[in-house]
Amino acid sequence: MLTAEQNDELTQVDAGTPMGEVLRRYWYPVAFTRELAEFPVKRVELLGEFFALWRSPSGRYGIVPEACPHRKASMAYGVVEPDGLRCPYHGWVFDESGACIEQPAERDDTRFGARVSAKAGVAEELGGLVWAYVGPGPAPRLPRFDVYVMEGFRDIGWADLPCNYVQIMENAVDPHHVEWLHGRYFSFIGRHEGFTSPASFAKKHVKVGFTPFEWGIIKRRVLEGASEENDDWKVGHPLVFPYNMRVGGGGVHQMQIRVPVNRTTTRFMLYTVHRPDEGYEHVEQPMVPDYRIPVLDENGRHVVNYVEGQDIMAWVTQGAITDRTTEHLGRSDIGVAMLRKMFREQMDRVARGEDPIGTIREEHERIDLPCEKDKFHAGARFALDFCDMGSTRFSPMLDTIKKIHVSAAERVASGSAS
Amino acid sequence: MRPAPPGRVERGPDRRFAADAAAHRRDVPRHCPQCGAPPALATEFWEGSARRFYCWCSACGWTGEITPTGATAVGHEPEH
Ligand code: FES
Ligand SMILES: [Fe+2]
Ligand SMILES: [Zn+2]
Repeated sequence: MLTAEQNDELTQVDAGTPMGEVLRRYWYPVAFTRELAEFPVKRVELLGEFFALWRSPSGRYGIVPEACPHRKASMAYGVVEPDGLRCPYHGWVFDESGACIEQPAERDDTRFGARVSAKAGVAEELGGLVWAYVGPGPAPRLPRFDVYVMEGFRDIGWADLPCNYVQIMENAVDPHHVEWLHGRYFSFIGRHEGFTSPASFAKKHVKVGFTPFEWGIIKRRVLEGASEENDDWKVGHPLVFPYNMRVGGGGVHQMQIRVPVNRTTTRFMLYTVHRPDEGYEHVEQPMVPDYRIPVLDENGRHVVNYVEGQDIMAWVTQGAITDRTTEHLGRSDIGVAMLRKMFREQMDRVARGEDPIGTIREEHERIDLPCEKDKFHAGARFALDFCDMGSTRFSPMLDTIKKIHVSAAERVASGSAS
Repeated sequence: MRPAPPGRVERGPDRRFAADAAAHRRDVPRHCPQCGAPPALATEFWEGSARRFYCWCSACGWTGEITPTGATAVGHEPEH
Protein backbone atom coordinates (compact mmCIF):
# COMPACT_ATOMS: atom_id res chain seq x y z
CA MET A 1 0.00 0.00 0.00
CA LEU A 2 1.21 3.45 -0.91
CA THR A 3 -0.18 6.95 -0.64
CA ALA A 4 -1.90 8.39 -3.70
CA GLU A 5 0.99 10.85 -4.13
CA GLN A 6 3.55 8.06 -4.14
CA ASN A 7 1.54 5.98 -6.59
CA ASP A 8 1.30 9.02 -8.81
CA GLU A 9 5.02 9.71 -8.62
CA LEU A 10 5.93 6.07 -9.28
CA THR A 11 3.81 5.74 -12.41
CA GLN A 12 4.61 9.03 -14.17
CA VAL A 13 6.37 8.93 -17.52
CA ASP A 14 6.12 12.55 -18.67
CA ALA A 15 9.05 14.92 -19.01
CA GLY A 16 9.58 17.10 -15.97
CA THR A 17 8.28 14.49 -13.50
CA PRO A 18 10.88 12.73 -11.29
CA MET A 19 10.18 9.31 -12.81
CA GLY A 20 9.83 10.70 -16.33
CA GLU A 21 13.33 12.14 -15.97
CA VAL A 22 14.68 8.76 -14.82
CA LEU A 23 13.05 7.01 -17.78
CA ARG A 24 14.63 9.50 -20.18
CA ARG A 25 18.08 8.19 -19.22
CA TYR A 26 17.58 4.88 -21.02
CA TRP A 27 17.47 3.61 -24.60
CA TYR A 28 14.22 2.09 -25.86
CA PRO A 29 13.34 -0.04 -28.89
CA VAL A 30 10.96 2.12 -30.94
CA ALA A 31 10.70 0.21 -34.21
CA PHE A 32 11.54 -3.06 -35.85
CA THR A 33 14.43 -2.81 -38.30
CA ARG A 34 12.03 -4.39 -40.77
CA GLU A 35 9.60 -1.44 -40.56
CA LEU A 36 12.10 1.19 -41.66
CA ALA A 37 13.40 -1.11 -44.36
CA GLU A 38 9.84 -1.23 -45.72
CA PHE A 39 9.22 2.50 -45.37
CA PRO A 40 11.96 4.78 -44.10
CA VAL A 41 10.05 7.09 -41.74
CA LYS A 42 7.81 6.22 -38.83
CA ARG A 43 5.75 8.02 -36.23
CA VAL A 44 6.83 6.89 -32.79
CA GLU A 45 5.28 7.45 -29.38
CA LEU A 46 7.61 7.09 -26.42
CA LEU A 47 7.19 8.26 -22.81
CA GLY A 48 4.10 10.25 -23.77
CA GLU A 49 5.79 12.19 -26.58
CA PHE A 50 5.59 11.80 -30.34
CA PHE A 51 8.60 11.61 -32.62
CA ALA A 52 9.52 11.08 -36.25
CA LEU A 53 12.07 8.31 -36.68
CA TRP A 54 13.82 7.88 -40.01
CA ARG A 55 16.47 5.86 -41.75
CA SER A 56 18.67 7.70 -44.21
CA PRO A 57 19.57 6.09 -47.56
CA SER A 58 23.05 5.43 -46.15
CA GLY A 59 21.56 3.49 -43.22
CA ARG A 60 21.88 6.05 -40.44
CA TYR A 61 18.96 6.63 -38.10
CA GLY A 62 17.59 9.91 -36.80
CA ILE A 63 14.81 10.88 -34.40
CA VAL A 64 13.24 14.33 -33.88
CA PRO A 65 10.05 15.48 -32.15
CA GLU A 66 7.10 15.02 -34.46
CA ALA A 67 6.02 18.65 -34.76
CA CYS A 68 8.05 20.69 -37.24
CA PRO A 69 9.46 23.80 -35.53
CA HIS A 70 8.11 25.91 -38.44
CA ARG A 71 4.33 25.51 -38.22
CA LYS A 72 4.00 22.14 -36.48
CA ALA A 73 3.10 19.81 -39.33
CA SER A 74 4.10 16.22 -38.73
CA MET A 75 7.67 15.34 -39.58
CA ALA A 76 6.51 11.71 -39.50
CA TYR A 77 5.17 12.47 -43.01
CA GLY A 78 8.55 13.85 -43.95
CA VAL A 79 10.63 13.16 -47.02
CA VAL A 80 13.70 11.08 -46.27
CA GLU A 81 16.70 12.58 -48.03
CA PRO A 82 20.43 11.88 -47.91
CA ASP A 83 21.13 14.79 -45.55
CA GLY A 84 18.14 14.51 -43.27
CA LEU A 85 14.38 14.60 -42.99
CA ARG A 86 12.47 17.19 -45.02
CA CYS A 87 9.18 18.50 -43.62
CA PRO A 88 6.37 17.67 -46.09
CA TYR A 89 4.71 21.09 -45.65
CA HIS A 90 7.28 23.77 -46.62
CA GLY A 91 10.38 21.67 -47.08
CA TRP A 92 12.56 22.62 -44.14
CA VAL A 93 15.26 19.99 -43.63
CA PHE A 94 16.58 18.73 -40.28
CA ASP A 95 19.65 16.54 -39.97
CA GLU A 96 20.29 13.80 -37.40
CA SER A 97 21.60 16.34 -34.89
CA GLY A 98 18.32 18.24 -35.21
CA ALA A 99 19.96 21.20 -36.95
CA CYS A 100 17.77 22.96 -39.51
CA ILE A 101 19.91 22.85 -42.63
CA GLU A 102 17.45 24.19 -45.21
CA GLN A 103 14.64 26.75 -45.22
CA PRO A 104 13.85 26.79 -48.93
CA ALA A 105 11.39 29.72 -48.92
CA GLU A 106 13.78 32.03 -47.09
CA ARG A 107 16.43 34.11 -48.88
CA ASP A 108 20.09 33.76 -47.88
CA ASP A 109 19.82 36.81 -45.67
CA THR A 110 16.50 35.92 -44.00
CA ARG A 111 17.23 32.37 -42.86
CA PHE A 112 17.15 31.69 -39.13
CA GLY A 113 18.10 28.00 -38.96
CA ALA A 114 19.96 28.35 -35.68
CA ARG A 115 16.79 29.44 -33.91
CA VAL A 116 14.71 26.44 -34.94
CA SER A 117 16.77 23.32 -34.33
CA ALA A 118 14.63 20.29 -33.65
CA LYS A 119 16.07 18.97 -30.35
CA ALA A 120 16.93 15.53 -31.63
CA GLY A 121 17.45 12.26 -29.84
CA VAL A 122 19.76 9.55 -31.08
CA ALA A 123 18.81 6.32 -32.77
CA GLU A 124 20.71 3.13 -33.54
CA GLU A 125 20.01 -0.34 -34.82
CA LEU A 126 20.78 -3.47 -32.80
CA GLY A 127 19.50 -7.03 -33.10
CA GLY A 128 16.61 -6.30 -35.44
CA LEU A 129 15.33 -3.35 -33.42
CA VAL A 130 15.79 0.38 -33.81
CA TRP A 131 16.60 1.96 -30.46
CA ALA A 132 16.20 5.58 -29.43
CA TYR A 133 17.54 7.74 -26.64
CA VAL A 134 15.62 10.99 -26.17
CA GLY A 135 17.07 12.18 -22.85
CA PRO A 136 19.70 14.77 -21.99
CA GLY A 137 23.10 14.47 -23.65
CA PRO A 138 25.61 13.08 -23.83
CA ALA A 139 23.73 9.87 -24.54
CA PRO A 140 25.01 6.80 -22.73
CA ARG A 141 25.91 3.75 -24.82
CA LEU A 142 23.17 1.46 -26.01
CA PRO A 143 23.65 -1.59 -23.74
CA ARG A 144 24.50 -4.61 -25.86
CA PHE A 145 22.74 -7.24 -23.75
CA ASP A 146 23.53 -10.86 -24.63
CA VAL A 147 20.21 -11.63 -26.35
CA TYR A 148 20.66 -8.83 -28.90
CA VAL A 149 24.11 -9.92 -30.04
CA MET A 150 24.27 -13.68 -29.51
CA GLU A 151 24.11 -16.21 -32.31
CA GLY A 152 20.75 -17.93 -32.62
CA PHE A 153 17.37 -17.91 -34.33
CA ARG A 154 15.24 -14.91 -33.42
CA ASP A 155 11.67 -13.74 -33.43
CA ILE A 156 9.77 -10.97 -31.66
CA GLY A 157 6.20 -11.30 -30.40
CA TRP A 158 4.53 -8.10 -29.35
CA ALA A 159 1.34 -6.32 -28.27
CA ASP A 160 0.38 -2.85 -27.09
CA LEU A 161 -1.19 -3.15 -23.66
CA PRO A 162 -3.58 -0.58 -22.14
CA CYS A 163 -1.86 -0.23 -18.77
CA ASN A 164 1.02 1.47 -17.02
CA TYR A 165 4.39 -0.29 -17.29
CA VAL A 166 5.16 -0.26 -13.54
CA GLN A 167 2.60 -2.94 -12.73
CA ILE A 168 4.14 -5.08 -15.47
CA MET A 169 7.56 -4.59 -13.90
CA GLU A 170 6.17 -5.53 -10.50
CA ASN A 171 5.27 -8.87 -12.05
CA ALA A 172 8.97 -9.38 -12.81
CA VAL A 173 9.71 -9.51 -9.06
CA ASP A 174 6.77 -11.77 -8.30
CA PRO A 175 8.04 -15.35 -8.71
CA HIS A 176 5.16 -16.79 -6.74
CA HIS A 177 2.54 -15.94 -9.37
CA VAL A 178 3.93 -18.60 -11.70
CA GLU A 179 2.54 -21.56 -9.78
CA TRP A 180 -0.93 -19.95 -9.66
CA LEU A 181 -1.36 -17.97 -12.87
CA HIS A 182 0.64 -20.34 -15.08
CA GLY A 183 -0.01 -23.42 -12.92
CA ARG A 184 -3.43 -23.71 -11.33
CA TYR A 185 -5.19 -21.22 -13.60
CA PHE A 186 -3.58 -22.70 -16.72
CA SER A 187 -4.72 -26.21 -15.83
CA PHE A 188 -8.23 -24.88 -15.08
CA ILE A 189 -8.41 -23.31 -18.54
CA GLY A 190 -6.88 -26.46 -20.05
CA ARG A 191 -9.53 -28.66 -18.49
CA HIS A 192 -12.23 -26.50 -20.06
CA GLU A 193 -10.58 -26.13 -23.46
CA GLY A 194 -9.30 -29.70 -23.64
CA PHE A 195 -5.51 -29.43 -23.39
CA THR A 196 -2.94 -30.36 -20.78
CA SER A 197 -0.98 -27.49 -19.29
CA PRO A 198 2.73 -27.88 -18.55
CA ALA A 199 3.34 -29.57 -15.21
CA SER A 200 6.61 -27.77 -14.50
CA PHE A 201 4.77 -24.43 -14.24
CA ALA A 202 2.69 -25.68 -11.33
CA LYS A 203 5.62 -26.65 -9.12
CA LYS A 204 5.30 -25.23 -5.63
CA HIS A 205 7.57 -22.43 -4.45
CA VAL A 206 9.49 -23.22 -1.29
CA LYS A 207 11.49 -20.02 -1.10
CA VAL A 208 11.90 -16.77 -3.06
CA GLY A 209 14.73 -14.25 -2.88
CA PHE A 210 15.76 -10.94 -4.44
CA THR A 211 19.24 -9.49 -4.82
CA PRO A 212 19.95 -6.02 -6.22
CA PHE A 213 22.80 -6.05 -8.74
CA GLU A 214 24.32 -3.63 -11.22
CA TRP A 215 21.53 -3.96 -13.83
CA GLY A 216 18.52 -4.32 -11.54
CA ILE A 217 17.27 -7.14 -9.32
CA ILE A 218 18.00 -10.86 -9.53
CA LYS A 219 14.99 -12.99 -8.73
CA ARG A 220 15.51 -16.44 -7.22
CA ARG A 221 13.24 -19.33 -6.33
CA VAL A 222 13.47 -22.77 -4.84
CA LEU A 223 10.75 -25.06 -6.17
CA GLU A 224 9.50 -28.18 -4.47
CA GLY A 225 11.86 -31.09 -5.10
CA ALA A 226 14.81 -28.76 -5.74
CA SER A 227 17.37 -27.03 -3.57
CA GLU A 228 19.47 -23.90 -3.47
CA GLU A 229 21.90 -25.78 -5.69
CA ASN A 230 19.46 -25.65 -8.62
CA ASP A 231 19.78 -22.90 -11.25
CA ASP A 232 16.44 -21.36 -10.22
CA TRP A 233 18.11 -20.26 -6.98
CA LYS A 234 21.84 -20.33 -7.65
CA VAL A 235 21.60 -18.32 -10.88
CA GLY A 236 18.04 -16.95 -10.98
CA HIS A 237 17.19 -14.34 -13.59
CA PRO A 238 17.09 -10.59 -13.55
CA LEU A 239 14.72 -7.73 -13.79
CA VAL A 240 16.77 -5.35 -15.93
CA PHE A 241 15.97 -1.86 -14.74
CA PRO A 242 13.76 -0.06 -15.56
CA TYR A 243 11.73 -1.92 -18.20
CA ASN A 244 13.05 -5.41 -19.00
CA MET A 245 13.24 -8.90 -17.67
CA ARG A 246 15.70 -11.51 -18.91
CA VAL A 247 14.38 -15.05 -18.89
CA GLY A 248 15.16 -18.33 -20.54
CA GLY A 249 16.29 -21.87 -20.10
CA GLY A 250 16.62 -25.04 -22.16
CA GLY A 251 18.25 -23.24 -25.09
CA VAL A 252 15.75 -20.36 -25.15
CA HIS A 253 16.98 -16.86 -24.37
CA GLN A 254 14.49 -14.07 -24.01
CA MET A 255 14.24 -10.44 -23.08
CA GLN A 256 10.77 -9.39 -22.04
CA ILE A 257 10.59 -5.75 -22.96
CA ARG A 258 7.97 -3.35 -21.61
CA VAL A 259 8.34 0.04 -23.27
CA PRO A 260 6.40 2.88 -21.60
CA VAL A 261 4.77 4.32 -24.72
CA ASN A 262 2.71 6.66 -22.57
CA ARG A 263 1.43 6.52 -19.03
CA THR A 264 -1.27 3.96 -19.79
CA THR A 265 0.10 2.17 -22.85
CA THR A 266 2.96 -0.28 -22.76
CA ARG A 267 4.56 -1.93 -25.77
CA PHE A 268 5.19 -5.50 -24.61
CA MET A 269 7.79 -7.39 -26.63
CA LEU A 270 9.09 -10.92 -26.33
CA TYR A 271 12.50 -10.80 -27.91
CA THR A 272 13.46 -14.44 -28.21
CA VAL A 273 16.62 -16.21 -29.35
CA HIS A 274 16.55 -19.95 -29.85
CA ARG A 275 19.96 -21.44 -29.42
CA PRO A 276 20.20 -24.90 -27.93
CA ASP A 277 23.33 -25.20 -25.80
CA GLU A 278 24.47 -28.22 -27.76
CA GLY A 279 23.83 -29.43 -31.28
CA TYR A 280 22.69 -26.06 -32.68
CA GLU A 281 23.13 -25.48 -36.41
CA HIS A 282 22.77 -21.87 -37.39
CA VAL A 283 19.85 -20.86 -39.62
CA GLU A 284 20.36 -17.57 -41.49
CA GLN A 285 17.78 -14.80 -41.11
CA PRO A 286 17.86 -11.84 -43.47
CA MET A 287 15.45 -9.93 -41.18
CA VAL A 288 14.20 -10.65 -37.67
CA PRO A 289 10.50 -11.58 -37.98
CA ASP A 290 7.93 -10.05 -35.66
CA TYR A 291 4.34 -11.05 -34.96
CA ARG A 292 1.44 -9.85 -32.89
CA ILE A 293 0.37 -11.87 -29.90
CA PRO A 294 -3.35 -11.93 -29.12
CA VAL A 295 -4.65 -9.90 -26.20
CA LEU A 296 -8.46 -9.96 -26.50
CA ASP A 297 -10.78 -12.37 -28.31
CA GLU A 298 -13.72 -11.26 -30.48
CA ASN A 299 -15.88 -10.94 -27.36
CA GLY A 300 -13.45 -8.57 -25.71
CA ARG A 301 -12.24 -11.18 -23.22
CA HIS A 302 -8.58 -11.82 -22.59
CA VAL A 303 -6.97 -14.71 -24.46
CA VAL A 304 -5.70 -16.79 -21.54
CA ASN A 305 -4.75 -20.13 -23.03
CA TYR A 306 -1.05 -19.23 -23.29
CA VAL A 307 1.47 -18.10 -20.71
CA GLU A 308 1.96 -14.47 -21.69
CA GLY A 309 -1.77 -14.05 -22.36
CA GLN A 310 -2.30 -14.97 -18.71
CA ASP A 311 0.25 -12.41 -17.61
CA ILE A 312 -1.34 -9.78 -19.85
CA MET A 313 -4.77 -10.53 -18.38
CA ALA A 314 -3.39 -10.03 -14.86
CA TRP A 315 -1.54 -6.79 -15.70
CA VAL A 316 -4.35 -5.16 -17.67
CA THR A 317 -7.14 -6.12 -15.28
CA GLN A 318 -5.22 -4.48 -12.41
CA GLY A 319 -6.45 -1.25 -14.01
CA ALA A 320 -4.94 1.31 -16.37
CA ILE A 321 -2.85 2.56 -13.44
CA THR A 322 -3.38 0.13 -10.62
CA ASP A 323 -4.64 1.69 -7.40
CA ARG A 324 -1.86 1.06 -4.89
CA THR A 325 -3.70 2.98 -2.18
CA THR A 326 -6.09 0.06 -1.66
CA GLU A 327 -3.87 -2.94 -2.46
CA HIS A 328 -2.97 -5.49 0.22
CA LEU A 329 0.58 -6.73 -0.07
CA GLY A 330 1.88 -9.66 1.96
CA ARG A 331 5.35 -10.88 2.89
CA SER A 332 5.48 -12.72 -0.45
CA ASP A 333 5.31 -9.34 -2.20
CA ILE A 334 8.55 -8.13 -0.69
CA GLY A 335 10.21 -8.09 -4.13
CA VAL A 336 7.59 -5.57 -5.22
CA ALA A 337 8.46 -3.34 -2.25
CA MET A 338 12.13 -3.64 -3.14
CA LEU A 339 11.49 -2.66 -6.76
CA ARG A 340 9.56 0.45 -5.71
CA LYS A 341 12.51 1.41 -3.57
CA MET A 342 14.80 1.00 -6.58
CA PHE A 343 12.56 3.26 -8.69
CA ARG A 344 12.51 5.86 -5.93
CA GLU A 345 16.31 5.67 -5.46
CA GLN A 346 16.86 6.41 -9.13
CA MET A 347 14.62 9.50 -8.94
CA ASP A 348 17.00 10.85 -6.28
CA ARG A 349 20.09 9.93 -8.25
CA VAL A 350 18.86 11.68 -11.36
CA ALA A 351 17.75 14.73 -9.36
CA ARG A 352 21.31 14.93 -7.97
CA GLY A 353 22.65 14.89 -11.53
CA GLU A 354 23.98 11.33 -11.34
CA ASP A 355 23.48 8.48 -13.78
CA PRO A 356 20.79 6.01 -12.69
CA ILE A 357 21.47 2.28 -12.34
CA GLY A 358 22.24 0.45 -15.55
CA THR A 359 23.78 3.42 -17.35
CA ILE A 360 26.79 2.38 -19.40
CA ARG A 361 29.13 4.91 -20.92
CA GLU A 362 32.02 2.63 -21.89
CA GLU A 363 32.31 1.02 -25.26
CA HIS A 364 31.55 -2.70 -24.91
CA GLU A 365 30.94 -5.79 -27.01
CA ARG A 366 28.38 -7.70 -25.02
CA ILE A 367 26.78 -7.67 -21.59
CA ASP A 368 26.00 -11.12 -20.26
CA LEU A 369 23.11 -11.25 -17.84
CA PRO A 370 22.75 -14.05 -15.29
CA CYS A 371 19.99 -16.44 -16.34
CA GLU A 372 19.25 -20.02 -15.37
CA LYS A 373 19.88 -22.68 -18.01
CA ASP A 374 17.91 -25.44 -16.33
CA LYS A 375 14.62 -23.63 -15.84
CA PHE A 376 12.15 -25.07 -13.30
CA HIS A 377 14.62 -28.02 -13.28
CA ALA A 378 12.62 -29.21 -16.29
CA GLY A 379 15.60 -29.72 -18.64
CA ALA A 380 15.09 -29.58 -22.42
CA ARG A 381 11.37 -30.15 -21.97
CA PHE A 382 11.23 -26.45 -21.10
CA ALA A 383 11.98 -25.42 -24.71
CA LEU A 384 9.10 -27.44 -26.14
CA ASP A 385 6.67 -26.34 -23.43
CA PHE A 386 7.85 -22.83 -24.16
CA CYS A 387 6.99 -23.22 -27.88
CA ASP A 388 3.61 -24.86 -27.36
CA MET A 389 2.35 -23.06 -24.31
CA GLY A 390 3.82 -19.59 -24.73
CA SER A 391 3.55 -16.83 -27.30
CA THR A 392 5.80 -18.70 -29.76
CA ARG A 393 2.68 -20.69 -30.61
CA PHE A 394 1.60 -17.62 -32.61
CA SER A 395 4.94 -17.12 -34.32
CA PRO A 396 5.08 -17.55 -38.09
CA MET A 397 8.41 -19.27 -37.33
CA LEU A 398 6.97 -21.90 -34.99
CA ASP A 399 7.83 -24.90 -37.17
CA THR A 400 11.39 -23.76 -37.80
CA ILE A 401 11.90 -23.07 -34.11
CA LYS A 402 10.65 -26.46 -33.00
CA LYS A 403 12.83 -28.09 -35.61
CA ILE A 404 15.85 -26.24 -34.27
CA HIS A 405 15.27 -27.62 -30.77
CA VAL A 406 14.32 -31.12 -31.89
CA SER A 407 17.18 -31.58 -34.33
CA ALA A 408 19.68 -30.21 -31.82
CA ALA A 409 18.45 -32.79 -29.31
CA GLU A 410 18.72 -35.51 -31.98
CA ARG A 411 22.25 -34.47 -32.83
CA VAL A 412 23.20 -34.64 -29.17
CA ALA A 413 21.52 -38.04 -28.82
CA SER A 414 23.31 -39.45 -31.88
CA GLY A 415 26.60 -38.07 -30.59
CA SER A 416 27.22 -35.88 -33.64
CA ALA A 417 27.05 -32.60 -31.74
CA SER A 418 30.21 -30.60 -31.61
CA MET B 1 -8.53 12.89 -26.88
CA ARG B 2 -7.83 9.50 -28.30
CA PRO B 3 -10.51 6.89 -27.62
CA ALA B 4 -9.73 4.49 -24.77
CA PRO B 5 -7.98 1.44 -26.15
CA PRO B 6 -9.96 -1.80 -26.10
CA GLY B 7 -9.58 -3.78 -22.92
CA ARG B 8 -8.54 -0.82 -20.81
CA VAL B 9 -9.80 -1.12 -17.27
CA GLU B 10 -10.78 2.10 -15.49
CA ARG B 11 -12.26 1.80 -12.04
CA GLY B 12 -13.20 4.38 -9.48
CA PRO B 13 -11.56 4.31 -6.05
CA ASP B 14 -12.09 1.01 -4.23
CA ARG B 15 -14.31 2.15 -1.37
CA ARG B 16 -14.21 -1.24 0.35
CA PHE B 17 -10.75 -0.42 1.63
CA ALA B 18 -11.07 3.29 2.37
CA ALA B 19 -10.33 2.56 6.05
CA ASP B 20 -7.07 0.76 5.20
CA ALA B 21 -6.01 3.62 2.96
CA ALA B 22 -6.81 6.12 5.72
CA ALA B 23 -4.91 4.02 8.29
CA HIS B 24 -1.96 3.96 5.93
CA ARG B 25 -1.93 7.73 5.68
CA ARG B 26 -2.24 8.04 9.44
CA ASP B 27 0.41 5.53 10.44
CA VAL B 28 3.00 5.63 7.69
CA PRO B 29 6.36 6.36 9.41
CA ARG B 30 7.24 10.02 9.28
CA HIS B 31 10.83 9.81 10.42
CA CYS B 32 13.79 7.63 9.58
CA PRO B 33 14.92 5.68 12.70
CA GLN B 34 18.54 6.48 11.87
CA CYS B 35 18.60 10.14 10.86
CA GLY B 36 15.11 11.50 11.45
CA ALA B 37 14.47 12.60 7.88
CA PRO B 38 11.11 11.66 6.34
CA PRO B 39 11.46 8.26 4.60
CA ALA B 40 11.42 8.63 0.84
CA LEU B 41 9.20 5.61 0.43
CA ALA B 42 7.21 3.33 2.70
CA THR B 43 5.36 0.37 1.24
CA GLU B 44 2.89 -1.14 3.67
CA PHE B 45 2.29 -4.88 3.77
CA TRP B 46 0.64 -7.34 6.11
CA GLU B 47 2.15 -10.34 7.84
CA GLY B 48 -0.42 -12.21 9.86
CA SER B 49 -1.97 -9.63 12.13
CA ALA B 50 1.07 -7.34 11.84
CA ARG B 51 1.15 -4.29 9.62
CA ARG B 52 4.65 -3.60 8.38
CA PHE B 53 6.15 -0.67 6.54
CA TYR B 54 9.09 -1.40 4.26
CA CYS B 55 10.94 1.92 4.39
CA TRP B 56 13.79 3.53 2.61
CA CYS B 57 15.41 6.80 3.70
CA SER B 58 17.03 8.70 0.88
CA ALA B 59 18.85 11.03 3.29
CA CYS B 60 20.99 8.35 4.99
CA GLY B 61 20.25 5.19 2.99
CA TRP B 62 18.57 3.30 5.84
CA THR B 63 16.36 0.43 4.66
CA GLY B 64 14.20 -1.57 7.02
CA GLU B 65 10.78 -2.59 8.19
CA ILE B 66 8.82 -0.73 10.84
CA THR B 67 6.06 -2.60 12.63
CA PRO B 68 3.59 -0.99 15.02
CA THR B 69 3.10 -3.57 17.79
CA GLY B 70 0.52 -2.08 20.17
CA ALA B 71 0.98 -2.21 23.94
CA THR B 72 1.42 -5.95 24.33
CA ALA B 73 4.85 -7.38 23.59
CA VAL B 74 4.43 -10.82 22.08
CA GLY B 75 7.09 -13.49 22.61
CA HIS B 76 7.13 -17.05 21.36
CA GLU B 77 7.92 -20.48 22.66
CA PRO B 78 9.48 -23.18 20.54
CA GLU B 79 7.85 -26.58 20.77
CA HIS B 80 9.14 -28.21 23.94
S1 FES C 1 -4.40 -13.08 -5.51
FE1 FES C 1 -3.02 -11.58 -6.21
S2 FES C 1 -4.23 -10.20 -7.35
FE2 FES C 1 -5.61 -11.61 -6.55
FE1 LIG D 1 3.96 -14.72 -15.58
ZN1 LIG E 1 17.71 8.33 7.39
